[in-house]
Amino acid sequence: MEILYLLVPLSVVLVFFIIGGVWWAIHSGQFDDIEKEGERILNE
Amino acid sequence: MNLTATGSPLSMNAVPGAIGEVGSNGQPAQGDTVAAMQLLDDPLEWSAFSRQLPSDQARWESNVLIEGMHCAACALTVEDALKSVPGVISADVSSGSQRARVVWQADQVQPSRWMQAVLQSGYRAVPANDSFARERRKVESRQALWRLMVAGLCMMQVMMYAYPAYVAEPGDLSAEMERLLRWASWVLSLPVILFSCGGFFSNAWRDVAHRRISMDLPVALGMLITFAVSTAGTFDPTGIFGREVYFDSLTMFVFFLLTGRWFELRLRDRTAGALETLMNRLPDGVERQKVTGEFELVAVRRLQLNDVVRILPGQTFPADGVVLSGQTSVDESLLTGESRPISRACGDEIIAGSHNLSSAVLVSIHRLGDDTRFAQIVRLMESAATSRPQLARLADQIARPFLLAVLIAAALACFYWWASDPQHALMVAVAVLVVTCPCALSLATPAAMLSAAGALARRGVLVRRLDAFEALAAVDTLIFDKTGTLTSDTLALGSVSCRSGIDSVQALAVAAAVAAYSLHPASRTLARAFALTGAHQPWQATDVTEHAGQGLRATLKPLSDAAPTLLVRLGSAKHCGLADEASNALRVFLADDSGWLATFELQEDIRPDALETVCQLKALGVSVWLLSGDTIPAAQRVAERVEIEAFEGLCSPADKLLRVREMQGRGHKVAMVGDGLNDGPVLAGANVSFAFGPAVPLAQAKADFIVPGQTLTNVVWAVKLARSTLKVVRQNLWWAAGYNAVAVPFAVLGWMPAWLAGIGMACSSLLVVANAARLARDNPMDRKM
Repeated sequence: MEILYLLVPLSVVLVFFIIGGVWWAIHSGQFDDIEKEGERILNE
Repeated sequence: MNLTATGSPLSMNAVPGAIGEVGSNGQPAQGDTVAAMQLLDDPLEWSAFSRQLPSDQARWESNVLIEGMHCAACALTVEDALKSVPGVISADVSSGSQRARVVWQADQVQPSRWMQAVLQSGYRAVPANDSFARERRKVESRQALWRLMVAGLCMMQVMMYAYPAYVAEPGDLSAEMERLLRWASWVLSLPVILFSCGGFFSNAWRDVAHRRISMDLPVALGMLITFAVSTAGTFDPTGIFGREVYFDSLTMFVFFLLTGRWFELRLRDRTAGALETLMNRLPDGVERQKVTGEFELVAVRRLQLNDVVRILPGQTFPADGVVLSGQTSVDESLLTGESRPISRACGDEIIAGSHNLSSAVLVSIHRLGDDTRFAQIVRLMESAATSRPQLARLADQIARPFLLAVLIAAALACFYWWASDPQHALMVAVAVLVVTCPCALSLATPAAMLSAAGALARRGVLVRRLDAFEALAAVDTLIFDKTGTLTSDTLALGSVSCRSGIDSVQALAVAAAVAAYSLHPASRTLARAFALTGAHQPWQATDVTEHAGQGLRATLKPLSDAAPTLLVRLGSAKHCGLADEASNALRVFLADDSGWLATFELQEDIRPDALETVCQLKALGVSVWLLSGDTIPAAQRVAERVEIEAFEGLCSPADKLLRVREMQGRGHKVAMVGDGLNDGPVLAGANVSFAFGPAVPLAQAKADFIVPGQTLTNVVWAVKLARSTLKVVRQNLWWAAGYNAVAVPFAVLGWMPAWLAGIGMACSSLLVVANAARLARDNPMDRKM
């Protein structure tokens, strides 16, 4: 059970890392137009 | 290759010093904003978002996007702020479309002046219809998604930490472990409260600073209280707020509220935004041919008359023009109501806003900007989108006192429960604050009507004011005020009877040879009917003379020399020296030296969908009338063929107006369908009016609905859509009122946990918007009414 004292803080850190990843994904424009990628195959 | 991808850097150049750079923290820097607004005082920039009113040269009408607006109460505030600026004649702000229409006097006020007034009231005005507005919208939607994601991720994790406390038997969970879990929850709630809730807090703060209340205030209060109570529970378990924590409830209802807002944003973009996409369909940049023959990418606003541009398939034509080379097919559905692709070759006219479908063409620009038909349509739709329907105004007026009542109810509930348990009292207050949803009430009407207007616009029917939906839904009598609306402008050839010895094609050839020299509708019909037979024309007409109102006289020479010349007369019976037999039909006679040759019976060319339209209207329980200025037999002929029982001929406009008044006096709600040209008073006298026809003058037509194009069934479609719109509005209003009436007392009694309140509020406004979105998707043609 003692391992939880390490894992719980670790999970908090992990969430922050994931949030950082999402920030990057959103701000690099990946969600700006979610239909576009699917339609691209028709245009090219 | 996709050239439109290069649009965004270009669009930034197109708006010099676009208003307000967005700082790294996502907030606009005030100083820059004002400086950039002053750039808009240059009259050259005005035309990008404004137009001069034709009635008064010194007055301008501007369209701006208002940022930071979430509810109807905001719309009133912005409107008040705008109207308080001297020189601003009128301001119309719509919360549904987030747009404002401002009419201002150019010699008294500059755009930067009233934009600052908006800024001071806590919002931002951005000129609409330019690429900058789109850029801002992108930033806004990214931020909304980002806030939602943070709240979602943190919520999931906080739930995990809360779970042990719910399932553990007393003694299972050591005190240290419980404290650790609470600490972890607190740490993960911080980004939610500091960041995800930022929008609620900043809006609420802005409203408090301006001494007013808006929908974000109760929600923000609720979040703050929950967080404060839970923080106290974590760090000071022995304090008066007890040892309970509500981090799971907090993150959950923040997540639900943000989800609701996010879906609402997307739905609004899709439905009310359907109007916007139509209006913003002109491209940012276009390839212009330089003198050297190369192409350069320039902003559409920099185009000039007679420029030559290259339009690739998939692109939209930026201006009216003529095809110089190439052949393609275009989609003009927005502008003419014609949904089939139309082929356009060298020398053909192109209209702005239509789509190039098949191949690249070079186009020479003939009309730009405000002169194009597209600009007129956009103006119409904008004025409709910013008009606020009566029902919505009513809801707006209720919303503000309602909010005040909610705050008081929360305070009272808190006060009542405080004696027994301070912590419980606060959480009850939180539930009351979070659960109320005046948004649903004020969104109910405009959301539905805008969505219906968008659906109509996609079929080529334009709405001038949203109130018209309410009137149209109640209509029980529909009057076609001209035979011309049921018939097309042309005539059609009916039966032909000839002297024995000749067949009808020969007779038609003779008639057509003469008729080719006249512009009279009957002559043109004969000429066209002959061309349709595909037969060879053996005659050449000479010495053609036209006797107005009677007919034509000509000498015909055979091209082959085999036959003798003929002296023929074409026209009325009297003109041809024949006895007229009484007949209902419109007839043209043909005679030669030896007397009667042939009789052509002409018919009004009834629109192919006229009969269907009338039948469908009757099926909807609408009684259909025809009031025509034509002769009584002419009106009767048309009425019989489309199965209208009630008709009158020889009606002057005054007669028609009198008839409309009479019907209204008997309690009927009357819709009038006219051509929008010279029937202004009659259209204005009816409860609701349609201007119908390919030649409808968009700018002058005074009708509520404008149906450019040839499809008469669009009128039926509009009636059906209006009825379903009103049904949706009623459902929405009932739902919103019912929800608040049930939920608030429940919360006050303490029967509603905060998380449930969060779900309730998010769902209720989402439900209203989603219900409205049905109108845009559904095709009421297929729906049983």
